[in-house]
Amino acid sequence: MTPLILIAREKWRLMRRNRVAVIALALVLLLSTIAAVTSVAQQAETAALRAHFQQEADAAFAAQPSRHPHRMVHFGQFAFKPVEPLAAFDPGVDPFTGTAIFLEGHRQNSANFGDVRQSSLLVRFGQLTPAFVLQILAPLILIFLGFGAVARERDGGTLVQLRAHGMTIAALLTGKAIALGAIGGLILVPAGAALAWMVVVHGASLPAATLLLASYTLYLAIWVGGVILASAIMRQARSALILLVGAWLTTAILVPRMAPDIAGAVQSLPTRLESEVAVTRDYRAIGDSHDPNDPHFAAFRTAVLKKYNVARVEDLPVNYAGLLAVEGERLSAELFARYADQLFAQEARQSDIMNRFALVSPTAAIRQASMALADTDRAAHRRFLGQAEAFRYDLVQRLNMLEATDVTAENDAKGDDPATETLSRVSQDHWRSMPTFHPRPSGIETRAKGAGPALGYLVGWLLAIGACLLFAGRRMGNGR
Amino acid sequence: MIWKHELRLFLRERAAIPALLLLLALATASVVAGLAETARQRAVIARIQPVQAADVAALADGDNPGDAPYSTYHATWNAPNPLAFAALGQRDIAPYILRVRALGLEAQLYDGETFNPELALPGRFDFAFVLTYLLPMFVIVLLHDLRAREDEAGRSAALQAMSRNAGLLWFRRRAVRGLLLYAMILPPFLVGALVSRVPPGQIVAVSLLALLYLMFWLALATLVERLGWKSAANAGALVAGWLILTLILPTLANLAINSAVPVRQGLELALAHRQKVHAAWEIPRAETLNAFYRTNPRWSGASPPKGFDDKWYFAFHEVADESVAPAARAYQQGLLDRDRLTQRLGWFIPAIGLQARLHRMAETDLSAQLAYQDRIREFHSRLRQFYYGYLFSDRPFTRTDYPKAPKWGDGMGGLPPSR
Repeated sequence: MTPLILIAREKWRLMRRNRVAVIALALVLLLSTIAAVTSVAQQAETAALRAHFQQEADAAFAAQPSRHPHRMVHFGQFAFKPVEPLAAFDPGVDPFTGTAIFLEGHRQNSANFGDVRQSSLLVRFGQLTPAFVLQILAPLILIFLGFGAVARERDGGTLVQLRAHGMTIAALLTGKAIALGAIGGLILVPAGAALAWMVVVHGASLPAATLLLASYTLYLAIWVGGVILASAIMRQARSALILLVGAWLTTAILVPRMAPDIAGAVQSLPTRLESEVAVTRDYRAIGDSHDPNDPHFAAFRTAVLKKYNVARVEDLPVNYAGLLAVEGERLSAELFARYADQLFAQEARQSDIMNRFALVSPTAAIRQASMALADTDRAAHRRFLGQAEAFRYDLVQRLNMLEATDVTAENDAKGDDPATETLSRVSQDHWRSMPTFHPRPSGIETRAKGAGPALGYLVGWLLAIGACLLFAGRRMGNGR
Repeated sequence: MIWKHELRLFLRERAAIPALLLLLALATASVVAGLAETARQRAVIARIQPVQAADVAALADGDNPGDAPYSTYHATWNAPNPLAFAALGQRDIAPYILRVRALGLEAQLYDGETFNPELALPGRFDFAFVLTYLLPMFVIVLLHDLRAREDEAGRSAALQAMSRNAGLLWFRRRAVRGLLLYAMILPPFLVGALVSRVPPGQIVAVSLLALLYLMFWLALATLVERLGWKSAANAGALVAGWLILTLILPTLANLAINSAVPVRQGLELALAHRQKVHAAWEIPRAETLNAFYRTNPRWSGASPPKGFDDKWYFAFHEVADESVAPAARAYQQGLLDRDRLTQRLGWFIPAIGLQARLHRMAETDLSAQLAYQDRIREFHSRLRQFYYGYLFSDRPFTRTDYPKAPKWGDGMGGLPPSR
């Protein structure tokens, strides 16, 4: 083991002497710290703001005066997307998606007021977060600190000397990798501290944070291996540098930008307008609740009369209009679900195509794994939307049932006339007893499952780089 | 003669031709991708027309044609401008199609479009990207060792001695490289611009911007070379400069601008608008109508409302819009301020300046998104007046009235007036 340590120590000494390298490393550590601190502060502020708005919306709902339940169906409720603590590490798609959804009867509104839509195009340059620093900047530092690791020994003729002293190529490469790996470890320190902070102070999931740190370790290990490999196989240090910067530019910057075009071309999405028109059309096709002879609603009426064992709608112990509202909501919600499922499947297919670019870009892989573990990927947003929809449906149906049980048919009919309208109202006490929205973050199993394929790609990358290093080491050992 | 010689020398370098061809390929690919994306956006706008027409036709042919003011959604769209192919901007996350009805606009205007956020996350691959991020990298690769290599090979002294004017020699070498890079990146744009029928003034402006930006990086590379470091140190310094100028400063600037100009008015106005709309049920109808007639004196002679009356229903929606108008203006102003600050920063950071200018010209930035919203506001008020013509004069709305509704595109769907 001693020669390994010697090689590593020698490499560190050389890196320390390289002033540009030391400054660059210090800059990245500083930037990484700034990113962690500002990101944590910003997410805490965002979380507080959204929680404040959610409380305000809940209070507004509870404070509504006594009124007809259907008025409350349209008064609706706002659902604010809570901030997952790990979003401070990797906000993922969170800034791109809307943060507030207006929930009301027989409509499915979009999530609005997303950060990116409210920012100038500067936001598309990237956001300074620990994830951004580790995904994009850290590899570049490893490249500049490590491109000469082997190539310089060769350029300077010291490689021959080392071998004459009995140093094997394998030991040399391993030693260099240990030295560069230690730099990678150093870069991970501020990020690790930020993760620890999020776990201890903000209650982030410990297993998710641990897996995140492990994923980034894997990612940086791939770059360490890649840098040593390029340094070993290129004839000159200069060529190794150009090759590595080219590889970085391609895999970290270029491929992630080209992938969406391909995914979008293979699988297109319907516009909101088309989906809404389709829901309206299908709903109309089911039937018209105002038409006494409509087959669907005639069958519904028969079933209701049978259930309550009466002959006429007038004899029902409940308000038939309320039951019709429940049935109408059920039908429209089914349609929403059908079109939403279709859309999610199409989006999932797009993301799937995107993720396959992990085969040519480890950055694409770590980006996906990181978002999934932080619960800030597209799937996590969909889970939030699903919970908001479930909450919307439950709230609207409770209100519709209130119309059936607490508003008599006679009073219901008086609702249109301002003079008698108050008779159709129900007490405001009901609003306070309605549930409030508390979406749950995804569990670790869901997150790990989402990150699984991407992590698989990362492991594959590491194995491939390792194999190449082994091969290159053997070739160097055999000749030249 | 000497120039030709320099050209031949340069092209004989191992990295020269592959680098130039790669840049040409990337620029071409970005133009093709941009043209494909704007063509796709135009196709989507064309695709929704029959869908929209069928939706209105179903209402007109239905049992309740009189529901038109409440039930009819009207499509609006914002077609990409000819230059949009070069700078796709925020059109992937902000809607370029929005349908509205004559009810409260503030509850409709900020709705989003369906998009996959994972596709939007990395940013777009367009000409603006190749120009802003990739071109400087090519400058770095081709110029970082222009002098250092001669120094390292020990040829510098000889070269300087042989040349009558050494400064001119290095200038020529840089100029050859710069011009060749320009010759790789510009023609794909020019072809795309001609295909897309970009106005000549804009073509010239983009060409000059690209040249200026290229010259900035050539100057920076020259400056770093002056320090007389080794080629690897030059490359390191230049890549660090690239990182700071194109990634780190813009992200820090975004952070600073967004915290300097908070825009929570958007959410506040959404909550306030809903509150205002539903409060109308609790106050005397005459009160709401009087407020409405103050801003709409044209309809103040209408008959008083009977029972549940659409007059009152539409009036309280408009009154609610008016009550949050100051918040809406403040929200828009906040967003405009963010955009303006970005434009101003562009004078100090070339990458931001280039991106901001390109996206302004291509009308794909935040201001363009707000200009689209302004046009929707204008269209929406025309819709309202159209339907009020029936509601406030107790004229029944019949099947044959549907085609009379204002159409998006009467001088507003094509080229927007520039802000």
